[in-house]
Amino acid sequence: MSRTLSDMRPVHVIGIGWHRYQFTSETPYVELGLTAVRAALADAGIPWPAVQTAYVAKALLPMAPGRAMLRHLGATGLEILHVEDASASGSAAFRHACLEVASGASDVVLAMGVDKPARVALAERSTGIPSLADDAIAPFTHFAMLADQYAHRAGATVEDIALVAVKNHRNGSLNPNAQHQKVRSLAEIMGGKAISGAFTSLQCTPVGEGAAAVIVASDDGIRALGVDPARAIQVVASVGRSQRVYEDATRFDALLTGETSGLAFAQSGLTAADLDVVELHDAFTVEELEYVEAMGLCAEGDAVRQLKAGAFDIGGRCAVNPSGGLIAMGHPIGPTGIGQIGEIVLQLRGEAGARQQPGARTGLAHMVGIGAVCYVHILQRPG
Amino acid sequence: MTEPRLLMPQLYDGGSPPALQGGVCDCGHVFFPLQAYGCERCGGHGTRLRPKRLAARGRLVASAVVHLHAGERPAPFVVGSIALDDGPVVRTLLAGTEVSLPPGCRMVGTLVPVTPAQDGTPRVDFRFAPVTGSDLS
Repeated sequence: MSRTLSDMRPVHVIGIGWHRYQFTSETPYVELGLTAVRAALADAGIPWPAVQTAYVAKALLPMAPGRAMLRHLGATGLEILHVEDASASGSAAFRHACLEVASGASDVVLAMGVDKPARVALAERSTGIPSLADDAIAPFTHFAMLADQYAHRAGATVEDIALVAVKNHRNGSLNPNAQHQKVRSLAEIMGGKAISGAFTSLQCTPVGEGAAAVIVASDDGIRALGVDPARAIQVVASVGRSQRVYEDATRFDALLTGETSGLAFAQSGLTAADLDVVELHDAFTVEELEYVEAMGLCAEGDAVRQLKAGAFDIGGRCAVNPSGGLIAMGHPIGPTGIGQIGEIVLQLRGEAGARQQPGARTGLAHMVGIGAVCYVHILQRPG
Repeated sequence: MTEPRLLMPQLYDGGSPPALQGGVCDCGHVFFPLQAYGCERCGGHGTRLRPKRLAARGRLVASAVVHLHAGERPAPFVVGSIALDDGPVVRTLLAGTEVSLPPGCRMVGTLVPVTPAQDGTPRVDFRFAPVTGSDLS
């Protein structure tokens, strides 16, 4: 019989840490990664030898970066596993770290992501199946066409869609780990460099470098290590899915998101109405509108109206991408899904400072990756 | 004058309008392009998959003018997503427009001249273009 996370023993996030997401620099990946892991250990208040397994998410670094980095914390002999799932690499690493603890195989596990920009080929171009012009359709063009579709379907203007970037840059301006930390007006965003369709550069995620780390633990691990249980945030749902054949083939990102988040709600016994904070894959503005609708945070076609009314602002009904999201916080690929978990933990502990969503108790993290694959995690604070 | 060569004859023919080389599975799933690995809907393979010519006619789902592109293709260019009357959704370059077009617009396949082959043979490649009065046959 198969079991979900909610059928197994409880898993908690006990430590979080980052190296700021930033534009490409000379900083070696080892320094990025160690900064994030040491911050997560310090946040949890546990020593490195307590960590039994490390899941290292990366999509752009060369083969086997894990031990070459982690040995500098002390070569304890822990299991090291690399995870690649495109943009969702970090989310996949987190899910499997949670499952390892939930299953009882380990009590304390690290999930971390680290990457530096590099040109990598997509396997989809190596399948031996030819395409008419897939080389002409980069991810920003795929989503530019979805923006065109959304605008016509929902009666939204290109300015309406760009309001997502206004909100997320505002949130990012309050986040010391964000790649973009500047408030941007709608005029600035619309007047930026034209990329594809209605998208200008500030409506697209900047792919940079960085690292993020989280430590997950069982109740036994928490007790044994003397971790403060009040700062431990439980993971109440974890779901990973991939694209099926959908009736409307053009909207696979949103349909896959709806399906995956639906399974996560079923697993946790929660609904979209229970969410106080959501971190979602807003690599391009239109995605946020598509996904809040797909998750059921608002009705189909109503996302712009809700956005304009402030429902998704910090302080609104449900803060969406309070970290700044991929658009402002950035998208170093491997770290991104891990960083989302870190932001939700900060929010649910009440430690998010100027970005704090008041009274946040329940948060959801969502990522999609090329393939397409999708991950959804739901976290909840005690009490 | 040398007859132009198709750039990707495995994907379309030289008809007017050209037909797309798709496939159909015994389960009924129609797909483009043709491949023999297996059906995405049911996993059927081998003789369950057969070639099917797909009429290059359909409705525009969405389009975008690409202003910035890292590949060899010089920007700007226009791409579109077309729901074929025969089922599959196909994404490719658009001809006959320098701007994005309204979704729902009727589209038809066409062959346009591209860079000649190294031996100087002229070549044509497939595009979708908005239907004009002369295409309504």
